[in-house]
Amino acid sequence: MRSPLSTCTNIGTGNVRRMFANPVALAYLLAVALFMLGQVLSPGFMSAAQILNVLRVASFLGIVAAGQTLVILAGGEGIDLSVGSIMSLAAVMTAHITLARDAFLLHALAAVILIGLALGAISGLGIACLRIPPLVMTLGMASVVQGLTLVYTQGQPRGRSAPLLNKIVVEPWFLGIPGILIIWLLLAIAVSVLLERTSYGRRLYAVGSNRVAAALSGVNVQRTVVTAYALSGMFAALAGYLFVGYTTTVFLDIGGDYVLRSVAAVVVGGTSLAGGIGTYAGSVAGSVVLTVLDAILTTLRMGAAGREVVHGIVLVLLLVAYGRQRKLRQ
Amino acid sequence: MGSHTHTVTDSGENLHQVTGPSWRIRARRNSGLIVSLIVFTVVVVVNRVLQPNLFDRPVLRSNLTTFLPLVLASVGQTMVVLTGAIDLSIGGIVTLVNVATVALFGAMSGRTGMGAILLPVIVGVATGVAAGAVNGALVAYLRLQPLIATFATNFIWMGLALYVLPTPGGSVPDGLCRVYRGYFIGVPNSAWFIVLTFLIWYLVRRRKLGRYLYAIGGSENSAYASGINVSAVRLTSYALCGLFSGLSGIALTADIASGDPLVGGPLTLSSVTAAVIGGTRLSGGEGGAAGSIVGAMILGLARNIIFFANVPPFYQDFVYGLLVIGALAIAAASGVRRRSI
Amino acid sequence: MVVLPYIEATGIRKRFGGVVALDGANFACERGEVHALLGANGSGKSTLAKVFTGIVAPDAGEIRVEGRTITVRGPADMYRLGIAAVYQELSLVPQLSVTENIMLGHEVESRGLVHESKCWEVAAGLLSDFAARLGRQLSLHIPVMDLSPADQQIVEIVKALSREPKVLILDEATASLRSREVEVLFELVRRLREGGCAIIFISHRMEEVMQICDRATVLRNGKVAATVRIGDTTPQELVKFMVGDVDTVGRQVKARVDAPVALRVNHLWSGRAIKDVTLEVRQGEVVGLGGLQGQGQSELLKAVFGAYPIEAGQIEIDGRQVAVRRPADAIQLGIVLVPGNRAREGLCLPRSVFENVTLPSLPKRSWHGLLSPRVERAAATGVIDRLEVRLGSMFQPASSLSGGNQQKIVIGKWLLSEARVLLMDDATKGVDVRTRHELYRFIRNLCDRGACVLMNSSDNAELVTVCDRILIMYEGEIVEELSGSSLTEETLVAASLRVEAGAERAGGFVREGKVHGEPHPHGDRQR
Repeated sequence: MRSPLSTCTNIGTGNVRRMFANPVALAYLLAVALFMLGQVLSPGFMSAAQILNVLRVASFLGIVAAGQTLVILAGGEGIDLSVGSIMSLAAVMTAHITLARDAFLLHALAAVILIGLALGAISGLGIACLRIPPLVMTLGMASVVQGLTLVYTQGQPRGRSAPLLNKIVVEPWFLGIPGILIIWLLLAIAVSVLLERTSYGRRLYAVGSNRVAAALSGVNVQRTVVTAYALSGMFAALAGYLFVGYTTTVFLDIGGDYVLRSVAAVVVGGTSLAGGIGTYAGSVAGSVVLTVLDAILTTLRMGAAGREVVHGIVLVLLLVAYGRQRKLRQ
Repeated sequence: MGSHTHTVTDSGENLHQVTGPSWRIRARRNSGLIVSLIVFTVVVVVNRVLQPNLFDRPVLRSNLTTFLPLVLASVGQTMVVLTGAIDLSIGGIVTLVNVATVALFGAMSGRTGMGAILLPVIVGVATGVAAGAVNGALVAYLRLQPLIATFATNFIWMGLALYVLPTPGGSVPDGLCRVYRGYFIGVPNSAWFIVLTFLIWYLVRRRKLGRYLYAIGGSENSAYASGINVSAVRLTSYALCGLFSGLSGIALTADIASGDPLVGGPLTLSSVTAAVIGGTRLSGGEGGAAGSIVGAMILGLARNIIFFANVPPFYQDFVYGLLVIGALAIAAASGVRRRSI
Repeated sequence: MVVLPYIEATGIRKRFGGVVALDGANFACERGEVHALLGANGSGKSTLAKVFTGIVAPDAGEIRVEGRTITVRGPADMYRLGIAAVYQELSLVPQLSVTENIMLGHEVESRGLVHESKCWEVAAGLLSDFAARLGRQLSLHIPVMDLSPADQQIVEIVKALSREPKVLILDEATASLRSREVEVLFELVRRLREGGCAIIFISHRMEEVMQICDRATVLRNGKVAATVRIGDTTPQELVKFMVGDVDTVGRQVKARVDAPVALRVNHLWSGRAIKDVTLEVRQGEVVGLGGLQGQGQSELLKAVFGAYPIEAGQIEIDGRQVAVRRPADAIQLGIVLVPGNRAREGLCLPRSVFENVTLPSLPKRSWHGLLSPRVERAAATGVIDRLEVRLGSMFQPASSLSGGNQQKIVIGKWLLSEARVLLMDDATKGVDVRTRHELYRFIRNLCDRGACVLMNSSDNAELVTVCDRILIMYEGEIVEELSGSSLTEETLVAASLRVEAGAERAGGFVREGKVHGEPHPHGDRQR
């Protein structure tokens, strides 16, 4: 039955659009404000070294958030809950393949990128073609990938990161800026180009803002959506690969924290959960905001428990501000 | 719904026979349940083949006590899914109830008697209802999107659980475990509890509330136009979900006889899968908790099968995960052609 | 003696986003009266009905029942006041049974549980009044989604009656019913009237309105145009009230009749919406699809574009049979669709004008997927200038444009795609007069260059002005063709309503008649 009595339940953008006037700037301001708050709570928080440290930690979240941004932009209540487990799988695969040998770094990179693309594409197919709700599909995928990780490692993650990867990620390339930040910057440029300067980017925005109008303009909606999820898997895998360069040893659930925080980062950055509006620049700011928030919580000696509660509350508050649905009575 | 015949006189003075629905209509209405019962039978047979002592009393009891938490969680999830929404925080609620109850048992250690057991249990269940009510308020009155809102609250419940009990531990009074693992007239208590769950569901379905769950899931606008207080019913569906999650938490506590702040994680996805296997559509309006109960037991037996089929230990989670995705895919693909008017 | 109206609405205003649905409407209905609410599409009559039933909250105005002003928070309040409605788009839950739908919201309870058999009895009793008289037995327990539209309509009617209403609103309640069923319904309505019920009858079927109603109120553009006694008026006069003063715009230059056929549709069938449609459009021609809205015009256009499934039939472009399965196929062939529902189908509103305009033609200008900002901007500017779109910057969101300018963008985005067949689905709905004229000129321009247009419009004046020929559609079939001297607004409206133009008022029924009588290839379909 077509929507009788003409009320619909899209996520309303109503007067929220005023807030979107410049949400990216808002997010950057928020990051700065949080830094200052940290300085107040714990002098030395805003030192150059500490800022660099925070940014370094934020870069992994930022890379995962790149994929999450694409998926959420694609609309249809899009979200990718499998990024955490894909990240974990990629990390153990990297350690396993390289086994501290530099020569195998490229092999590992190729492997994890392919795996990431494939897993993401499977999610995308289930969502675009079988109409499985994204939340449920990617949640199921996360479970499968977790199982896959267990199979791959036989319960014992082995291997260590190759020294070269460590060097690339952790050590400064120039001006004292760690490699990972340069990588993140390059990635940010690439994603922004993808979104602003390619036909894929335009189609993604079209599909996210109005699926029907996009289809009636000749856009292949299914292909666009599947690609978004495939790329999300790829970015998650990339993040896992680089993370191994950062921590040198791996454990089974590296990516656990990254799922909710990547969603929150994207929303803080001004991307609408309904799709069609948003930028990666905003997600970059959002990643920094969330990482600073975590740093502050650590300073306040809040344990893992408190952090989880805070993350949950932050997301709820973001939803209340940015994501409410239309009322039943018009 | 018996097939009794009544006679009715209309304004034209004609007599009519009023009978209940024909068996054909009833079969179609419960097609999901029937399919799940068939699958259940198959799974039981396969399990029996792989594990010859399946029907021995101790094994039966052990299986049922393991299945019961998922059974209860699935029933809770069904309440919400029927309205076309979902609750992704069930795992968190179950965990929270588990640790809260264990913590209270700890606080009451030294005291004996029914009160010492009953009070923490009641508080535990009440915690579940409260958490469900929070979910319901966010979805029904603040009009937040159910999937992401409950995704977020899940972290709040898990975080609170971690706060209450940072590491697994604690103990549970003997009395509770004995009741949970005991027998009554030869049948495991857990089996009786499952029967009780069927009855409670049957009661809910026979009330107006039950019917309104289906109506809202079938067409929220039509339900609204018919004068149903949609927001209140939605809130109630989440509160009921919280109630069953609370009961699930108690069952789980009695089963593992301790507290574990990570225990509820897998329950969320499994409860959704159990509901889907049991014939409840994620889009709402069709299905029922009877099917979810069967679905939960199918999942439990599937785990058994994976184990007894000598699937290598580290592959078991993976295979189970594939099963879940497969079930979701099949349910979605056998999708809704008939829905529209 | 002055009879107080039983239910009354005064000064009702309602706006949905940018569209004004009701602009100070007044309406009153007395007890024991059948009062018709008439108006063309977009006149606001359905919105007014929804205001009465509590689904829509008016921005301004009052509703009074028995002289007392009432405050409404939702449908439940309305039911308590004894107001029930039969909705145009049905308020049934597809998966629930007939009984469950009838009793929805007011089930019989006993000891806290729903008393199923009592519900069956009540439903059976109500149904027997209706269905049994037709010699049909409507099963109580079938899910409503398995019923035919006529049976669903009957359930919807019985559902409203089960509330024992003091005010009954029938919004296009006869749309799916055949003449015999309508007769039975009218008997029921007469009985209710004698019982003191106030009945509001919304319909576009003039012969029914003349047959059953006592008075009629005509809405136009959200305001009341007239309130008359049925006995004092004729269908033609009512049509004149609905249409208003005919705004004569100069007729456009007409096309030659000997141009080659650009688009031909052969025996197209699809579900209940398109029944054996055959038509052709020549190069340079503008052909209109007239008739009441919702008779299949929109579906037909979408089917030619590949956005609506086709069960049988062929499409030919320039004499060649083509397969159009998806919009992308159509666009390749030079067939483009300009939807009228801009918000839902025509534009990605949150995105910029620039992006919307360049979207369909991206493949033409991209180099391995990459776009050049300069080239894109130039292309967009070209379109915007050619259509004289008034805006500040092309990077402002499409939602910030006026309705008329938005529609220009919806059309404009196809300019870069070399369109040959323009399918326009009520493309000027809600567009101001000045912009419309600009668009008509533009369309004519395109046609002079060899394109052709097949258009659907809810504005009859427009069809008459712009089209060379008009094909009237009724329930999925093409029933009549107007051209030349018969191409006037009055004949158009009359043909749409199946009223004999200029005839005396008679107790006439719906005109039967088909233009193409081919049997359905997949077997007999119920008519």
